[in-house]
Amino acid sequence: MTAVIEATGLERRFGDIVAVDGIDLRVDSGEIFGFLGPNGAGKSTVVRILTTLLRPTAGSASVGGFDLATRPGDIRRLIGVALQDAAIDPLMTGRELIRLQAVLHGISRNAVRTRGPELLERVGLTGAADRRVATYSGGMRRRLDLALALVHEPEILFLDEPTTGLDPTSRQALWEEVRRLNGEHGTTVFLTTQYLEEADQLADRIAIIDQGRLVREGTPTELKATVGAPTLRVEVGRDNVGTARTVLAEFGSERPALEGRAAIGLLDGAARVVDVVRALDAAGVPLVHLELDAPSLDDVFADATGRRLEGATDQV
Amino acid sequence: MSGLRLMGVQTLELARRSVVNERRQLLSVTPGLVFPLLLAAVYSQQFRRVLALPGFPEVDSFLDFVLPACVIQAVSFGATAAGSELALDIENGFLDRLLASPVARVPILLGRLGGSSVVAAIKTVIIIAVFLFFGAEVAGGPAAMLVIVGMSSLLVLAVGGIAQVMAIRTGSQEAVNASFPLIFVTIFMSSAFFPTNLMSGWFRVVAENNPLTWVIDPVRRLVIEGWATGDAVQALGLPAILAAATIGAALLSLRRRLAAP
Amino acid sequence: MTKATRATGWGHGWAVARAVCMRGLRRVLARPILIMPTLVMPVFFVVSFTGAFSALTRIEGYGTDNVYNWMAPYAALQGAVFAGVGGAASAADDLENGFFDRLLLTPGGRFPLLAGTIGYSGVRSLIPTTAVLVVSYFGGLALPGGPLGLVSLYTATVGMAVVFCLIGLAIVYRMRTMRSMMIVQVLGFSLMFLSIGQVPIRFLDSWLHTAARVNPLTNVLRLARQGFIGDLAWSVTWPGLVAVAAMTLGAGFAAHRGLVKMAP
Repeated sequence: MTAVIEATGLERRFGDIVAVDGIDLRVDSGEIFGFLGPNGAGKSTVVRILTTLLRPTAGSASVGGFDLATRPGDIRRLIGVALQDAAIDPLMTGRELIRLQAVLHGISRNAVRTRGPELLERVGLTGAADRRVATYSGGMRRRLDLALALVHEPEILFLDEPTTGLDPTSRQALWEEVRRLNGEHGTTVFLTTQYLEEADQLADRIAIIDQGRLVREGTPTELKATVGAPTLRVEVGRDNVGTARTVLAEFGSERPALEGRAAIGLLDGAARVVDVVRALDAAGVPLVHLELDAPSLDDVFADATGRRLEGATDQV
Repeated sequence: MSGLRLMGVQTLELARRSVVNERRQLLSVTPGLVFPLLLAAVYSQQFRRVLALPGFPEVDSFLDFVLPACVIQAVSFGATAAGSELALDIENGFLDRLLASPVARVPILLGRLGGSSVVAAIKTVIIIAVFLFFGAEVAGGPAAMLVIVGMSSLLVLAVGGIAQVMAIRTGSQEAVNASFPLIFVTIFMSSAFFPTNLMSGWFRVVAENNPLTWVIDPVRRLVIEGWATGDAVQALGLPAILAAATIGAALLSLRRRLAAP
Repeated sequence: MTKATRATGWGHGWAVARAVCMRGLRRVLARPILIMPTLVMPVFFVVSFTGAFSALTRIEGYGTDNVYNWMAPYAALQGAVFAGVGGAASAADDLENGFFDRLLLTPGGRFPLLAGTIGYSGVRSLIPTTAVLVVSYFGGLALPGGPLGLVSLYTATVGMAVVFCLIGLAIVYRMRTMRSMMIVQVLGFSLMFLSIGQVPIRFLDSWLHTAARVNPLTNVLRLARQGFIGDLAWSVTWPGLVAVAAMTLGAGFAAHRGLVKMAP
């Protein structure tokens, strides 16, 4: 497998703040690579560096076989980018922006004549194409931004939190589009997200980033396997949490839990649930609710960092 | 606390906020001082031969002639600030919060105006000091200097009032700031940089009937010829009347805006 | 394989520059209020200066007895400076609203982006220059130097627009805010004042004389004005051209460097 993105010791400082702290990564051709982490983890900074919008303060990288430091202009020929904040001009119309993007990327006028309407159709903006972007909703702007990233049919697509702020239908539509691009055209996709489900559903491989550092990397299955045991969550009320924790400690290692609850990685699996219930009962702990979940990426994150990922759905 | 005293306290607090704001925006305040001073310095140098023109007032230096203009230009840079700030507060919703609070209506407007007036007074003192340092002479003495400070403070209130009317009507900071060039032009179309008797044609007519000329000429006489109570009254009275009118208009506009459905 | 294989070479660079320039002009058409300061201020200048300072022509040695002939080129140049700053301001706008990232993602080098922006400023400068000429014509403007006088003027004004656009860009690439444009405005104003805007150099004394002598804008003003106060002369033309070229190179280098430093 050829690597289309490679980074070694990538670092970016902003004054005293280290936003990206020595990241190594590798993305193979045709992969959908997920970059998962909470807000402020450094995901967008990494994207900006790899897309030549920001210089790293240390480290090196290559994209599409071109060195970031010496051939940035060539890298830009191969990549399409949709950033977290849609990079669009409110005074122009959608159609004008697509045309401009086409010229900037060397697409002939004839090609744009078919490609432009086709792209607008694909992102559902045909009706709004001749309206000023200032009149578009947030979701429409994101969709236009995606269309702009695809005008020149790039080999490598960078998507920075592409579904943040989108409604579920639009989110699904975008996932379909990413799968289609990857499946039909072999487009390599570098996707950053704070949504576990998105990473889980789309990515072939995931890297988890926290506070500027890579903490885990692998396929979703591999990552979940590192956590191993399923998570047992019990709701017992605030006054009983201490006792519950002591009881549960015999059955597995503690995991982060919400208030009024305790959680462990249950060793030996579902078979031991009955024993747990008996033990809690014997200790006089009233059991309000009990749940057993297969490991999630949130568990992986919690295992690696000791915290839950923001935006994870609340596990009651 | 009595109603009036409360209004006074609120006004002072909003004025303080306004002055502190301007201090923070040092980048935008400095041009307001440096540019008029530079202009005065340049004109004094390049218009030396102008002093000999028949019809030009008897002065040793063009500096004496241009002092009032320099002061007015300097304070004009911040004159729209009261309106501009108000427009910004309208844009970002802070005004609504103020209106929902126990702060009375009058201090909301006067606070800002008070703030820019204080800044104008400080600028004027600085300019007079610089001019004196470079050899200008104010024949009317310290009393005349006080009149100049008072004149500039009142003028800023007058312009600020108009700016606030614009802010309340348009709610747009951009629109208020767009009026700054107009002030600039109004200063030029007066007796600020040249005596009107040396002008000709329609321009002279406009300049002679520009209210700014009616303020600049008496101030200039105080500087060049010496103290005259009539000139002092004119120099302070006109801006005071204008200020009262425009602030009244601003208050009326605010009331209308609040009453609107 | 990506379709963007055409995104190489001079052809592509020229297409990018042209697209950036046309975009700027289209945006002005979409929001005409943007052009108002560039258009209106120089006209006001020529009206105000000719009105307020008409008596200057009475002083011996002034250089002309028609105050419009002296002031119109000055006002036109001032307008060109505004046009230049306007070009940089549109980049500031793009930086503030995020569209600049889209432009930075253009394949190839950074130079076509710069070229397009200064092209836009140059074209924009035609508007105030022409407006000043029209208004001054009605005020009695004469052209003793003939049509070449107009060429000389437009060369100076387009050149100044380019220079101040580049200066503005150099600053805005560092500071990335619209407010930094104030610095360029002040610089433009100050340079114009420390020159022979309103009176000839022989009227100036001491420090102002020295300032005007070393100020490159003095030669540009002479280039702009020569056709209106007499015949054209090569001895006046070449220093003006050199001044424009030198400032363009210097500011261009700073701007390009600032851009590449921001994003390679």
